[in-house]
Amino acid sequence: MKKESTTKFSKICTLLLAGAMTVLTFAGCGTSSGSASSPSPSVSASAEASASPSASEAAGLYYGSAATAESVVKDAAGKGKVGNWGLGNEYEIQALLSKYGLPTTFLSQAFDMNGFDDDTIALASAMTYNELGLVKNSYEGGYSYGDKVKTIDMNEEGVAMLEDNIFTTSAFAKANPNTVTAFLYASLKGWEYAVANPEEAAEICYKYGSSVSADHQAYMADEVEKLVTTDTKGSAVSKIGNMDEAAMQQTLDLAKKYIKLDDSVAASKLQSLTLDDIRDTSYWAAASASTDGKFGAPEKTDISIQLKWLPDAQFMGYYVALDKGYYKDVGLNVTIVPGGGDISETTAVNSGQVDFGVTWVSNLIAANAGGMSLTEVAQIFQRSGLVLVYKING
Amino acid sequence: MKKFKNKFNKETITSVAYPVAFGILIVVLWQTQLLHKLIGTDTFTLPLPGRIFHIIGDNFGAIMKNVEATLIVALGGLVLGSLLGYVLGIVAAVFTKWGKGGLTIASAFNAIPIIAIAPIMNNLTKDFSKDPNVRSMLAKMLVVMLTCTVAMSINAYRGLTELKPYSEDLMKSYAAGKWTIFKKLRLPSSVPYIFTALRVSVPASIISALVSEYFAEYIVGVGRAIRENIVLSQYATAWAYIVVACVIGIILYAVLLIAEGILLKGRR
Repeated sequence: MKKESTTKFSKICTLLLAGAMTVLTFAGCGTSSGSASSPSPSVSASAEASASPSASEAAGLYYGSAATAESVVKDAAGKGKVGNWGLGNEYEIQALLSKYGLPTTFLSQAFDMNGFDDDTIALASAMTYNELGLVKNSYEGGYSYGDKVKTIDMNEEGVAMLEDNIFTTSAFAKANPNTVTAFLYASLKGWEYAVANPEEAAEICYKYGSSVSADHQAYMADEVEKLVTTDTKGSAVSKIGNMDEAAMQQTLDLAKKYIKLDDSVAASKLQSLTLDDIRDTSYWAAASASTDGKFGAPEKTDISIQLKWLPDAQFMGYYVALDKGYYKDVGLNVTIVPGGGDISETTAVNSGQVDFGVTWVSNLIAANAGGMSLTEVAQIFQRSGLVLVYKING
Repeated sequence: MKKFKNKFNKETITSVAYPVAFGILIVVLWQTQLLHKLIGTDTFTLPLPGRIFHIIGDNFGAIMKNVEATLIVALGGLVLGSLLGYVLGIVAAVFTKWGKGGLTIASAFNAIPIIAIAPIMNNLTKDFSKDPNVRSMLAKMLVVMLTCTVAMSINAYRGLTELKPYSEDLMKSYAAGKWTIFKKLRLPSSVPYIFTALRVSVPASIISALVSEYFAEYIVGVGRAIRENIVLSQYATAWAYIVVACVIGIILYAVLLIAEGILLKGRR
């Protein structure tokens, strides 16, 4: 009896000790990865470094504040330190690298900016309305670089490709013209209100599901407003959702050059695509010409739209339209489906899981080359929101 | 002898011919699009085999480059993980009291999803090399290593400790030392268990290599190609890479079975 209890006791001890060891191992993993990923300590460290006497050495680490875009791109590419997320987001970066006669390879960038923070990536991709805000600002989740970073703008470099649009399948558009036009009318109205009142729009988005902090949401709304109301040349946009011929053509031309498809059938289809294969302006024209939003009875009233990313101010127009009842006013019951990670919005729309989607024009082009029959019905972002961000000395 | 041969033939027919026939049936249904009707899909999301093989033929060179990268990661991680696992098994067998409980808990490592380990490994290996290809290769290998370690350590432990009845007593009665018992009895008895572990680890190493490529800094590999093509809605190309991934897995498993057949001849 006594012996049995001692063996039991020693067994429990063994288990406890082994458990403690495992926990320690895990804790070790946690701290080491934590120090690599937590932004604030390394930020303050680099700030100290530049202020300390050894600043002369640190001063040479990054780029001069007057450095040209060309010199920065060439230097970073030479070191193999240009970053992008890939997965169809890389074409503008590749076009820029080609413009300066450089090979089009890049590092795979994670969805956070830690690689930029720890200098693994010298020239990192960032969306003006999202990652750039995290790099510059000091609110929760921010890296507080402020004006210690500069950017290279794809619009200014002449390699801009259009991003967020509204699309559906050609078949759905043909079968439900009133629904498409009414949905566009209400969505455009939502966008108009959102860009006129970005602060309120940010609050609405925050209400509908916050993947980010309220501060960052407000920053996003301000930046998205610029993309919706300014075109690639920097001039003001007269009508929201317009599909500018020149900008669309530039997007298509760059897509043909940089989208590399292994499937020979898809590759030759890609080269044969024209603007008419990827967009239809008639629904937008009808929607933006209307003053009362009356287009006849919608063929389908319960509809859904698939976002390209998490619910945030990047899609504020749709949330505003939903919140203000603009969709209800035109007789539609709209469900907004958030995306994120590897969600393929083109596939979701093509298979009929959702009726509309928001994607980048280049993704739509690739999908149509692959055999889908998708059509863009409005172009919400009128200029590229993609920049390359780099640190400057001092 | 003749009887044995007949039996062997019969077994071969049932164990090889039936699965092959089933496979052929599926391919035929697939190519004739009957399969699409059965599961309610279209040729866009499930392209026809003819097109898939056409793409593989067209891009053989590029595919081989990706296969090479994936194989290096999978096999490198498999070797590292199996060695580490075997060493852990020996340690556990030497300190039996601690070892058994320790291994049980270590098997919790197998429950950590690869998608959680991969980014951690990326961060840990950042200072390893200036070449992103080299350091991301190491990060991926470490992920594979972790997934292969546990199966080997548990099986090695069993092989080293679960001996034939009385064999250890017999060795002791011959006045054999601990080292001799280990060398002459425990080590040989663990060999079949090594293969049991490898039967688990080989497919696992391919899967974890494919998934770890999703998160790697350097863009290369069969897994990465699958992800890129699905996101770009290039399903035919994605399927081509999926087929390639399956072939890698099947070939490695076949190699393992052949090696097992040769090394364990007459032991099972």
